[in-house]
Amino acid sequence: MKESYVDLINIRRKVFALIAKMAHEGTDLNELERASYELIPGEIATYRESVFRERAIIEERLRLTMGLDARHMNEYTRVTDGINEMDVNESRFTSPLVNVITFACEACPSRAFNVTDNCRKCLAHPCTNVCPVNAVSIGKNRAIIDNDKCIKCGKCMEACPYSAIVEYHRPCAFVCGVDAIESDYLGRAKINEEKCVACGRCVTQCPFGAIADKSQIYQLVKALKTKKNMYAMVAPSFIGQFGVLASPIQIFEGIKQLGFKDVVEVSLGADITTLHEAKEFINRVPDEIPFMGTSCCNSWTLMVKKLFPEQYEYISDSSSPMVETAKYIKQKDPDAIITFIGPCISKKLEALREEVKDYVHFVITFEELMGMIVAYNIELSEIEIDREIQDASTLGRGYAIAGGVAEAVKETAQLLDPSREINIESASNLNDCVKLMRMAKAGKKDGMLLEGMACPGGCIAGPGTLASINRVKKAIIEFKNKSSYKTPLDNDIIDDELKH
Amino acid sequence: MRVKICMGSNCTLLGAMSLLDQIEGLKEVFDEDNERYNDEELEIEAVSCMNYCKKTDATIAPVVAIDDEVIFNATGQIVMEKIMGKKKK
Repeated sequence: MKESYVDLINIRRKVFALIAKMAHEGTDLNELERASYELIPGEIATYRESVFRERAIIEERLRLTMGLDARHMNEYTRVTDGINEMDVNESRFTSPLVNVITFACEACPSRAFNVTDNCRKCLAHPCTNVCPVNAVSIGKNRAIIDNDKCIKCGKCMEACPYSAIVEYHRPCAFVCGVDAIESDYLGRAKINEEKCVACGRCVTQCPFGAIADKSQIYQLVKALKTKKNMYAMVAPSFIGQFGVLASPIQIFEGIKQLGFKDVVEVSLGADITTLHEAKEFINRVPDEIPFMGTSCCNSWTLMVKKLFPEQYEYISDSSSPMVETAKYIKQKDPDAIITFIGPCISKKLEALREEVKDYVHFVITFEELMGMIVAYNIELSEIEIDREIQDASTLGRGYAIAGGVAEAVKETAQLLDPSREINIESASNLNDCVKLMRMAKAGKKDGMLLEGMACPGGCIAGPGTLASINRVKKAIIEFKNKSSYKTPLDNDIIDDELKH
Repeated sequence: MRVKICMGSNCTLLGAMSLLDQIEGLKEVFDEDNERYNDEELEIEAVSCMNYCKKTDATIAPVVAIDDEVIFNATGQIVMEKIMGKKKK
């Protein structure tokens, strides 16, 4: 989430609320043909140059939120084409997850250095003097950079005493840690599926709101209306996401009011993952594998799989907290249909994996959940309930903040084997994750436990969040210290077998 | 000056927490240059749903109240300018 992109965030969330409301009220899906008029009323454009384009773009958002593909604008397609297949009570996901709404994309040029009005054509003109390829000259009004010659080293920018030279980025490509953003024949963003690891950073960073992921909220609401054994599990970063007045237990109760039978903290699964990873580290490093990477962030593990296939086996075999929590629920109720609610869109892909798909049936984000809460007219802070949530340990609840996973595994491993000295290193954006893996590949991280997180700051900065990182971080620290269990070894819910 | 930010579901969906962050951030601006501003204390309160949106079909969230003035479709731009105006010497 990028908080200052207010209009874009609101458009996205209004669509979630509308689709959830249609599912909740059983509205005929043909109404989707006119939904864009409800969301963008009147005939005067607010956001773009024309109201027609605004509506066309919001129609793509409606389709993606229904789980449909975005349309090709070179052929006739109605908003509702393909909708019948989506009018079901189970998840219907077709790739790709992350989509460019092509006609919302403004085809921003790629990275370049530009001279601004600040230039005073100074006598010293260090910009020309430091350029290694003689690409900068002094023009009539200001310095000029010859883009054919420029090698984008940035020396001119650093040398200018007036800050007159700026580095310009294409926002989607700038935040992509795996270089997955390419261009189509019109210069518009195009996502290379082979490279994309679905971290969702481009979705939140595009200032024109041209990139969006698919949702399962419609099908989830339908399932909640027709099925009984619906369970929700909520990622550790849920604290503080749904308004500053909603307490953790009120959030749990609110989720139940949507039709879920029970709600479990994914931090419980985090405790189980911690125990697995701690034992795995003690047993395998350094005899079997030179270092070990954590397994909980799906974009990180996908990145390693795609860019460092030979090192992929050094990523922990343990299931992620999402999967461990689902397994715990399944053990108690074999017929359980399980929804993961989190800050993350990458989990939507993880849930499709062969070994995961029987455990996790729906994945939605906090933003999508808030859309459902609005559609159901639930006021979380007014729910009367006074109970404590005690599913997980302090360490498990810390998974949401960058560094928390490695910290938990390290502490637990040292409790299991006090003789072990464990060094950890964490990276918390995809770019740094790639760098960390490069060093590890070169043998510079041998013996270490490596934590990779695709979002800057950890899960609390995920693309599907609502609250700012600082607010959530404070709330999580308060919540995790309220746990009755300090480490996973103290957690009574977990089988003792796992603790040795 | 008392600023109330509605934390009802609708307002939360449409950015109430971000407004709260922005308004709280103003305290820093006042502290940095206290010569420019009057002594009136800025009291910020997140409140549960004020029920304005339940009385109308129009979209009015998020809602912010500055003393007696209720602002519909509140944006950081509008709310912060009003607060800054009231704090001016």
